[in-house]
Amino acid sequence: MYGGGNTFEGIKTDSIAQEDPIRLAEFEARIERGEKIEPTDWMPALYRKQLIRMIEQHAHSEIIGALPEGTWITRAPGFKRKISLMAKVQDEVGHGQLLYSAAETLGKTREEMIDDLISGKSKYSNIFNYPAFTWADSCFISWLVDAGAIVNQLANAKGSYGPYCRALDRICAEESFHLKYGHHCVIYLATGTQKQRDMFQEAINRWWKPMMHFFGPSDKISAHTEVLMRWKVKMSSNDDMRNQFLDMYVPKIWELGFTIPDENLKKNTETGRWEYTEPDWEEFKRVINGDGPCNKERLEVRRIAEERGRWVRQALKKAQTQYTVPLA
Amino acid sequence: MKSLDPRVNRLPVVGKPGEISPKVPLDQLGTFEVFVQPKEGKPFQHEGIVHAPDVEMAFVLAKETFTRRFTCVSLYVCDTRNVYVSPLTEATSNAYDLISEATEKSTHKTSYEIYHLLKRGKQHVHVGTVQAGSPQEAMAEAKKVFKNDKTVYNIWAVKTSDIRFTTDEEKDLWLTLPEKKFRDASAYKGGDKLKEFLERHNA
Repeated sequence: MYGGGNTFEGIKTDSIAQEDPIRLAEFEARIERGEKIEPTDWMPALYRKQLIRMIEQHAHSEIIGALPEGTWITRAPGFKRKISLMAKVQDEVGHGQLLYSAAETLGKTREEMIDDLISGKSKYSNIFNYPAFTWADSCFISWLVDAGAIVNQLANAKGSYGPYCRALDRICAEESFHLKYGHHCVIYLATGTQKQRDMFQEAINRWWKPMMHFFGPSDKISAHTEVLMRWKVKMSSNDDMRNQFLDMYVPKIWELGFTIPDENLKKNTETGRWEYTEPDWEEFKRVINGDGPCNKERLEVRRIAEERGRWVRQALKKAQTQYTVPLA
Repeated sequence: MKSLDPRVNRLPVVGKPGEISPKVPLDQLGTFEVFVQPKEGKPFQHEGIVHAPDVEMAFVLAKETFTRRFTCVSLYVCDTRNVYVSPLTEATSNAYDLISEATEKSTHKTSYEIYHLLKRGKQHVHVGTVQAGSPQEAMAEAKKVFKNDKTVYNIWAVKTSDIRFTTDEEKDLWLTLPEKKFRDASAYKGGDKLKEFLERHNA
């Protein structure tokens, strides 16, 4: 799972001017034809840099995203739910592995990525900086956060970088179970006792704000992404993805008789777009920069795991071990 | 650290918060390429990589990373360093055109596995085995045997003895895959329950 609300660095287009114009034209023509870029192909430095940043953020989101859900495995109601949630969390960690490998093909090692996550230099999806108080929160994540992630990942799977697309195809195929599982859990809460219904309503009330943040800042204020769209790094604008998500899932939430805590939320029948209260982008920035309810805990858990696993990695290491950049 | 999760609260204090002690080189170990056979009779295809200290560990991790889903009857792994790679070619040119015919014939031959990339963005697929004395010779042999009118963008050659194959006894690793319905979207049918609820709700 993952949010499209990744933050791209301010793009200095002047670095493009320094690229070899002939190679740049060939590169752009290849993308225009719908061909994939492979690791050994020439690529502009800006393309490499932004892709590393994006794939790495995605990988970190998978790993960190496993934490708020993983915490519910032991407390999931019943054996079946436990086994499903365990399989789902294992998938998320597996997705992290696939994505780290894809980012590695661009020249950043896994150690560097993990170090940058722990030091706070690299980001991950903002939504995981919020706590999962109850089982219903875990259900909200499995159903709706994953749904949002799928909207984003399906778009990105049509991007231009071969290894990333291949990883995403695999990830999207696995995510379909997460989505169905999440919806199944929510249907059971919704059709259960009043207490179960209240639990899920409270989860919606807690998670709606971060969910609206999930796809990233509004197009009006987000960084200049025209070149990233042309290079098929970014495949859809933040607002378009948010709109697609609302279109697919708000009716499903309403159908179950729940309410969404935004009195301005409605679909404009003329434009076909959803209208909503503008999310608080100052809070989004504040949380992504470290000041959210769970930022410290998420990174500490990851850091302690890394420190405690050190002796295992050292014990496993063989004299002939040598790092090689993955092939594809 | 005060967490909602009691297990997090029980974590020992290690190092300093926010700081990671410097890593030794190769902390994440080496890389190994993973190939999977989806069905009996189908060719092996490249799936991706795992990090591992050796080929045995790579095999175990590959099984976990790449074959939790979908059908798999066999997989194998080899060290990334042992994959010989041809240049990647452009639009219509064939990678085999860049490979020169073998001039010398080695007397000591071993077998090499050959893989083709037939479409950019897709994965390398196993096409067969050749006997050769060196990777270069293996590519030249492959040109004789496997080159046809299809454009091949990229060729890989791996010495058969560098590969860690699935043994016959290990084939049952994947026998339980079809039983693991809880990993399958189709196992989560909530439709009837939802329909019944909606009928009650709208009545």
